[in-house]
Amino acid sequence: MIPQLVTLRYRGPGGRWLRLYLPVLPAAVLLSPLLILAVLAGLIACVTFGISPTSELRGAGHLLWALPGTRVEIEDGQTTLLVSVR
Amino acid sequence: MNEQRRQVLQMLAEGKITADEADRLIEALERDQPELPPATATRQKPRPKYLRVVVLDSSSGPEPTRVNIRVPLQLLRAGVQLTSLIPPQALTRVNAELDKSGVPIDLAELKPQQLEELVDQLHEVTVDIEDGDAKVQVFCE
Repeated sequence: MIPQLVTLRYRGPGGRWLRLYLPVLPAAVLLSPLLILAVLAGLIACVTFGISPTSELRGAGHLLWALPGTRVEIEDGQTTLLVSVR
Repeated sequence: MNEQRRQVLQMLAEGKITADEADRLIEALERDQPELPPATATRQKPRPKYLRVVVLDSSSGPEPTRVNIRVPLQLLRAGVQLTSLIPPQALTRVNAELDKSGVPIDLAELKPQQLEELVDQLHEVTVDIEDGDAKVQVFCE
């Protein structure tokens, strides 16, 4: 399953939490013109470097599908950063 | 029914031993049998899903630095698959740089299947490093 929600939490030295919930699908739809450009650029790069574009797309798809469950927490003194992909 | 138990019952049927003797022999056979073969026990263990990296560093000040990373093993597999798409020119340059740094590894020799096997065996890996105020743990769960 592709990621559905990316959660970003940040606590600065002031102790205030900043929470950002990013629904992936709506964000992807919103950014679709840029995504199309990025895919085109990737395809051109594949052709330039002699890599199979289908393999590249399949690899990128696997990577995207495997992202849910990833969690990164970094706490340094008063500063905390948490990134979670669901 | 295993062969030894069958032999005991056969001897009982032929009247070579009494029922009590057969009972004692069967009990002795059951005691001698291992409870579970180790391979079966390993197979029943649930496969780990995540690779965890936990770092705790108390040397920087009163409040320790903590890093807690959880990466799905599936993501590692997907990443490993992507390595097969590295252009040959890039591989040559990476190999040259590795060689220059004293790590003579030819990445072109690494096959995706070998890398996948490596990821499959990761669940056996546990790294636990403790150095003064710093602690690093890498394990699968």
